[in-house]
Amino acid sequence: MSKLEIKDLHAEVEGNEILRGVTLTINGGETHAIMGPNGTGKSTLASVVMGHPKYKVTQGEILLDGNNVLEMDVDERARAGLFLGMQAPAEVPGVTNSDFIKTAMNARLEEGKKVKLFAFIKQYDKAVQELKMSEDLPHRYLNEGFSGGEKKRNEILQMKMLNPKIAILDEIDSGLDVDALKIVGENVTSMKHDQLGLLLITHYQRLLDYIKADKVHVMMKGQLVKSGGMDIIERIDQEGYDWIKQEVGIDDERVIPKDDKELVTIGTCATKEALDL
Amino acid sequence: MVTYTKNPLINDTIPKTIESLIADDISHYLVIKDGHILAKDIDIEGLYIDNFDNALSDKIDVIQKIDDTKTDVSDAFKYVKENATSGIFVHVQKNTVIEPPLHVFVLQEEHDMVHNTIVVCDENSQLNYMEYYQNEQPSSNNIVNQAIVNENAKLTYTTMNLFTQKSVLDVNRQGLVKRYGTLTFNNAEVSDALSNVNTVVKLVAPYAKSYVKTVAITNQQQEARFEQLVEHLAQYTEGYIENYGVSSDTSALVFEGVGKIHKNMKHSIARQQNRGIVLSRKARLDANPLLLIDEYDVIASHGAAIGKIDEEQLYYLMSRGLTKRNAERLIINGFLNPILDALSSDKLKTLFIDSVARKTQDL
Repeated sequence: MSKLEIKDLHAEVEGNEILRGVTLTINGGETHAIMGPNGTGKSTLASVVMGHPKYKVTQGEILLDGNNVLEMDVDERARAGLFLGMQAPAEVPGVTNSDFIKTAMNARLEEGKKVKLFAFIKQYDKAVQELKMSEDLPHRYLNEGFSGGEKKRNEILQMKMLNPKIAILDEIDSGLDVDALKIVGENVTSMKHDQLGLLLITHYQRLLDYIKADKVHVMMKGQLVKSGGMDIIERIDQEGYDWIKQEVGIDDERVIPKDDKELVTIGTCATKEALDL
Repeated sequence: MVTYTKNPLINDTIPKTIESLIADDISHYLVIKDGHILAKDIDIEGLYIDNFDNALSDKIDVIQKIDDTKTDVSDAFKYVKENATSGIFVHVQKNTVIEPPLHVFVLQEEHDMVHNTIVVCDENSQLNYMEYYQNEQPSSNNIVNQAIVNENAKLTYTTMNLFTQKSVLDVNRQGLVKRYGTLTFNNAEVSDALSNVNTVVKLVAPYAKSYVKTVAITNQQQEARFEQLVEHLAQYTEGYIENYGVSSDTSALVFEGVGKIHKNMKHSIARQQNRGIVLSRKARLDANPLLLIDEYDVIASHGAAIGKIDEEQLYYLMSRGLTKRNAERLIINGFLNPILDALSSDKLKTLFIDSVARKTQDL
């Protein structure tokens, strides 16, 4: 059974410490959800686990089935079984969706071996249908000109094809309308099995109506400040995050500092106002 | 006017590389080596295609009408016109649409190449013409490609060059487009040669239109320079220049595009776009998109974006398990994709992709 362990993880970007000691264990078959207000480090955690070059780990460790993930390159992490469904995936003009995913699948095979073309097309078409995406998807360029919802569905489609051990879905619900959310939710739920460890990062409980989580964590100030079951979600939905802030004694939950610059309205006299004349 | 002397042919075998290209998926082709036609499988009504041996007697009236050396042409252009040892003449008759693409393979073996191609499309005709150039040994190659697009004719003239290292390549392309005519010059440049490719398109009557598209990859110590000049000599003319480049190792690649709208040529459109990826610290890639405009009532734009491979794209592809090398290859191929549609056979597309891989293998 696969197992992702995050131990006392600290990470920074451009000298600002964002993660301040995150500890979390995800076993195969479990679904975890991390919630929290904006700017508390949720997406950073996802990016650090995947190995985005922008972030620097200063302390702690990440293990996948006992192997040190931090020593691996991004592509090695993926081949070891990690998957990150991104909040804002890059657009790659000229590279078709099907070429890309085929290359990714080939990368998982022994050298010299390739996926069988017919089986691949069948599997791909099936995934496209299940996600109710347009039929020309395989020939379209990767995420280029995709709507927000299409990008998110494309992430789920890739997850289906790659069949990871541990999947992290970073705000996979943002930008989705109600119908699309339902489709994505149902597809993710149907992928659940006793080997797959799932980590959902989200603002809203809406997503969790479709994907049931076993454990819910709340992130503030770059740490997981509260963990529990689905009952936490209901309370957040009704009361917001203030009660948690009070419980753990935090005023400002953010780790990303607030922009101090004064905003001015154009139309009055922006220069005057900014210069305080 | 052309003066033409042919060199003797030493070896009349078609190279294996070309044999494999014409093996199955190309239907209309011609192979010419050192000026001699080795194979020809084109027989279409309304289309004339032959080397200068026959064309200079068959089509002398058409050739004489092209007063190409009178205008301000370069010395290199004149040199080829005066010393050509290899020549192809293509003539599409009035109201004739040639559906299948033509493939002409121009090869150099024993003698330095001095080649001239002339394509003339008469009124209301259409042609998709693909030329593939290759040599086996280092050589000096001087080429002039001329395209005359008459009223309401459409010509797509695509060249792909694969010359060896230590070769020198000098190409002069000249296009003349008349009323409602459209000329598309595509150039897929995967040579290892020291290259200089100069394209001049003259839009001489209203509603004439031209697209000049170049894709080039340089590596090692290669130097290559591509100049495009689109001259708007009539009102309501449209000229589009697009350049895509990749430079690696210590090579230098230069794009110099000029859109020139002359005085009084109102309602003309001149657009230019340059994009480039620089793969190594010591490689160079310059783009100088110029607009020379002597008229107010026009639409014009120019731009250049050059940089290294996008980090976010790389991270995204790698996060799905692609090795860095594979991810880079995929991104580069995607970037160069605009030319793939212009290559008219799958074998040529594969050859292009393989050549790109070869030229970027030290990544």
